[in-house]
Amino acid sequence: MKKTAIQKISDLAAQLMQKGTLIAPVQEDAGFNFREVSDARQVDLNFYNTLMSPKSAFFPQMEDFVRYQTGKSVLEAVPVEMGLKPVFLFGVRPCDVKSFEIMDIHFSGTGAVDPYWQKRRENTVIFGYAFDVNTPADGADFYSTLGIGAADPEGSDVFMMKKSDDLLLKAVTDKGEKLLADMSGLTDATPDDLKYFDETVAAGRSFKTRFTCVEAKSIAKKFEDLFHKTPFWERISDACLSCGVCTFVCPTCYCFDICDETLFGQGTRRRVWDACMFTDFTLEASGHNPRTKVYQRLRQKVCHKYSYHVRKYGVISCVGCGRCTRNCPVNIDIFSIVDQAMKE
Amino acid sequence: MATSFKQIEENLKNEARKLLEDGKVSLVLAYGRGYDEKHPVPFVAKIAADVESIVFNEYCTANMARYLVRYPRGTKMAVAVKPADSRAVVQLIQEDKVKREDVILLGIPVIGMKNSKTGEVIDSKTTCGLYNPVLYDVLLGEEIHGQPVVSPYDVLAQYEAMDKDARFAFWQKEFDKCIRCYACRKACPMCYCDPCFIDQNKPKWGEKSPQSHGNLMYHLTRFHHLAGRCIDCGECSRACPVDIPLYLFHKKVARECEEMFGQAAGKSIQDKPVLVNFRVDDSDKILE
Repeated sequence: MKKTAIQKISDLAAQLMQKGTLIAPVQEDAGFNFREVSDARQVDLNFYNTLMSPKSAFFPQMEDFVRYQTGKSVLEAVPVEMGLKPVFLFGVRPCDVKSFEIMDIHFSGTGAVDPYWQKRRENTVIFGYAFDVNTPADGADFYSTLGIGAADPEGSDVFMMKKSDDLLLKAVTDKGEKLLADMSGLTDATPDDLKYFDETVAAGRSFKTRFTCVEAKSIAKKFEDLFHKTPFWERISDACLSCGVCTFVCPTCYCFDICDETLFGQGTRRRVWDACMFTDFTLEASGHNPRTKVYQRLRQKVCHKYSYHVRKYGVISCVGCGRCTRNCPVNIDIFSIVDQAMKE
Repeated sequence: MATSFKQIEENLKNEARKLLEDGKVSLVLAYGRGYDEKHPVPFVAKIAADVESIVFNEYCTANMARYLVRYPRGTKMAVAVKPADSRAVVQLIQEDKVKREDVILLGIPVIGMKNSKTGEVIDSKTTCGLYNPVLYDVLLGEEIHGQPVVSPYDVLAQYEAMDKDARFAFWQKEFDKCIRCYACRKACPMCYCDPCFIDQNKPKWGEKSPQSHGNLMYHLTRFHHLAGRCIDCGECSRACPVDIPLYLFHKKVARECEEMFGQAAGKSIQDKPVLVNFRVDDSDKILE
């Protein structure tokens, strides 16, 4: 395990920027966000949560596949190069790290591999960060409810945590080990630091957020039973505006649309995030739309995460980061919906 | 002295209970408990027993008029309205989306509402800044006297000081932040088009990807669709997850409409919407 002074974080960032692309939390007008860092001093670990999830490092909101010219042969269409450089994804909360594992199921785990996701995943070193062991949990978070600790190093390549004025960095995978060995300016951690690290990881597991622990299978079953109880879903969705904030900020929402967008004869085939909360998401070419009502869309979203996903892949497709709850214009809280369902 | 939020909540509950028990309405659009006190959720009371879940505090900012168009025509509804929300109902009545006889307005005079995201007090900077609803059947608190100290258009001064290029650069920077979640149009009580122009694909008016030109297309079109109709509740800006100051453009257009046609959106139920009305003495400035 290595360590460095918190003040020297920009040195660390500068070194990573020399090795490749650094994506880290950066303070913006509307709060923190993961951005490609252009100035090492921008890197700031004094954040509680970012507005958007770090999924865009692997699955950007807009991904260009092919460029073409209208009126020309399809043979002249040019695939867009990904132009990959090593990427360092810095300061990721343990619950967000967990979300990558869930997304892997869809982008590579089921046999149909998405090369864009896969290549980016292989090319990225993840620096996990124990973000809130020392601060009280924000009201919106509920990751501990889903069995994720506030300082779980699993899934990260390097895991970081603060210890007074120091930043401890522990290599979790070989990839992380190699990178840390390659970095200068880091000192070896003391046995005291090692002890602190293990204690914090353990403390993170008993860290309490909202709600008590739940069992995935019983939630999944409950939602299956409730599917046809329209009055329940109507009550739940009375407030829902059916906008796309919750899905866009979600680390485990992966729906996308592939569209051809043309401007002055120059066309691009690209994929763009889509959301099950949009009316046109399920609009069929015939004009028929199986989900015209808000309650049908909200039911789809909640049941997908907490029921269908459990039945198909065995895990809840939610990590309790609280972004959907925090950013909902009308303050709908997804886990309160689960809570109410369990009481039905 | 303004009536306390607690008292308004009590009055709202009593009024809603009475209306539901007497069968005068089939639903009451109000506010309910959220995951904590600072985050109340829009709530629809359908039976008298639901009334106990109604809350009202300084964080109940959502514009409940937004939900009126969701129910079939002829549904008898009561709606809790703050000043700007009442203007939205008036505008919806003017546009014949809701019938006056179908809706009972439970007016709430407010001062000192707060934005639950930032904790800041909401005033005429982001809303119309009125204290009392312009139309109501029952007033749930004492009328607040005195005019807002600042005009709702004062906030425009800084924006208007910019020249044309600077303004364009300003909006381009703001729209580049847009993630196209469409929370602004969904939170807006006047955005009831189905489908919205941006969702149409035959013809396709704008792109789905969150790029500068598509974002500009979406927002500018939405701004203009709301010309003379925006009632300045500021919900679009509060709903925006990336804090785009949409209210600025709406206020700018609203003021121009007011100056040209001498009428602000949703202020009086006798008015006709400015852009569907023609008077011989209408200003020609719009054509310049």
